[in-house]
Amino acid sequence: MASLEQPILLKDIQKILSADVILDEGWRREKIRRVYCSDLMSDILSFGDSSSLLITGLINPQTIRTAEMVDIAAICFVHGKIPHEDTIEMARNNEIVLLSTRYSMYEACGRLYCAKMSKSVDLP
Amino acid sequence: MKLSEIVEKLGLKIRTGGGKLDREVSRGYASDLMSDVIAHSMKNDIWVTIQVHLNIVAVASMKELSCIVLINGKEPEKETLEKAEAEGIPILVSDLPAFELIGRLYQLGISGKKNGQEENA
Amino acid sequence: MRRLTEIHKVQELVFKLKTPDAKASEVVILSPNTMMSEVRSILKRNKIAAAPIVADKKVLGIISVNDYINWLIAGKEDCCVEKCMSLNVKFLYDDEPLTDAIKSFERYGFYEFPIINRKTGNFTGIITRRDVIMGLLRALEIDYHEIEISSYSGRTFFHDMAADHTELMLKFSVEGKNIQHGGDIASKLKKNLHYLGLHPDTIRKTVIATYEAEMNLIIYGGGGTVEVLMDADVIHIEVKDEGPGIPDIQKVLQPGYSTAPDWVRELGFGAGMGFTNMQNCSDTLDIISKVGKGTTVKIRISLDPEKSIK
Repeated sequence: MASLEQPILLKDIQKILSADVILDEGWRREKIRRVYCSDLMSDILSFGDSSSLLITGLINPQTIRTAEMVDIAAICFVHGKIPHEDTIEMARNNEIVLLSTRYSMYEACGRLYCAKMSKSVDLP
Repeated sequence: MKLSEIVEKLGLKIRTGGGKLDREVSRGYASDLMSDVIAHSMKNDIWVTIQVHLNIVAVASMKELSCIVLINGKEPEKETLEKAEAEGIPILVSDLPAFELIGRLYQLGISGKKNGQEENA
Repeated sequence: MRRLTEIHKVQELVFKLKTPDAKASEVVILSPNTMMSEVRSILKRNKIAAAPIVADKKVLGIISVNDYINWLIAGKEDCCVEKCMSLNVKFLYDDEPLTDAIKSFERYGFYEFPIINRKTGNFTGIITRRDVIMGLLRALEIDYHEIEISSYSGRTFFHDMAADHTELMLKFSVEGKNIQHGGDIASKLKKNLHYLGLHPDTIRKTVIATYEAEMNLIIYGGGGTVEVLMDADVIHIEVKDEGPGIPDIQKVLQPGYSTAPDWVRELGFGAGMGFTNMQNCSDTLDIISKVGKGTTVKIRISLDPEKSIK
């Protein structure tokens, strides 16, 4: 995890990651303070900020359950992955925003990290 | 950039493969799912992961990755270390969480793109 | 007490919020040269009832579905919207409070209003009824989180019951290998504990411990039962299976020790941190197991996160 100096808006994250919005319960989840990336449930269970974004390659329903346990606000799947309808429904019931980026976890994290370091969110 | 430079700049701990750190790396990959690493990583990638079990060496070997970097101060399992020695795959450890480590590597110029182009979907 | 606080907050917000706080993020405007024949498809495609005609940042007029219908009925030739638009545009200034927007919606019965900057007279956006609701909800959420933390009073369901001693038992059964539903019980438990008014830290520890135990039941135990017994001081969780049992309990308690097959790892599990996470989240953890008979995991967590029951 990393604490961002200033919160980033979800819509800016969406731009930086060129991400598609799979599910937008957006009226609730706008500002992101922390970004986590992991494909391991037990690792995700140790995260703990409700204004946080999880970047992961796991699209099974337990990703949503695990995120629910620790109050994660939004999940961005990598490699353009999109979860099953049932999983999306689970996220809807828990009001978790779902995004999907074509970048790899490495590229997605790298871009976000650099964006938060510089004042502007435009990347070369 | 040479692996040895990265080790120095990011304060990484060397657990094995100290002799292989003169490799040049330009690309990074991060995932804890073996299937994703097999599908998307490229030869010579620096691989960031939290997984410490034996499989990581097999996968790193298969994909000819330059090294494995474990995050959150995770130590590799004994068997993992032994196998990595045998296969010549360096294992490095960082105390940083994944997002931060990847960010710093990225800032050093280790991108996730393929051949300087945008990654394919 | 809590509901009253929430209602006051909403009232405050309604007066505090300005129209730009709520306005629509994507705006459809027409240029004066847009043809009337195009209006229908533009409105339909964007699911709106009217669109302003804007040129040089100024609102020249507005065209609505009604205007389009009137033009059709009159059987006139196709022309640009500038000729058919309503000039009497009802708009809102961007420094007006949201209450004025709400009043205007009621008064005029329109579905949207253009927003104008008071100083420059420039068009800055559109607000619809839906935007008002969304704006309020967004503002509520910012405060909701603070309400959640600050409204934890220390009085739970158990304190509110008039009795010498109150206990609550929740029973769940878990199917083995049904990984699709892994975590369903922890999820239900979380909602229940929230309903009972427990401290957020206690809820977090309880659901994480239960989640780990539930996944173990599914992946290794062949299914079983989860029983949660609570009173005013302690949560007792008992997770039972009649599965293969654990040959060496000390080993499984070691962080990272895992017998997980590859398919389990590909789902993000099998890191061998299950029991470690359970231990970190509980005040006491007991594992009773016999090979060939099954395993029972008993967890106790204090309701008061400040106290521990070691």
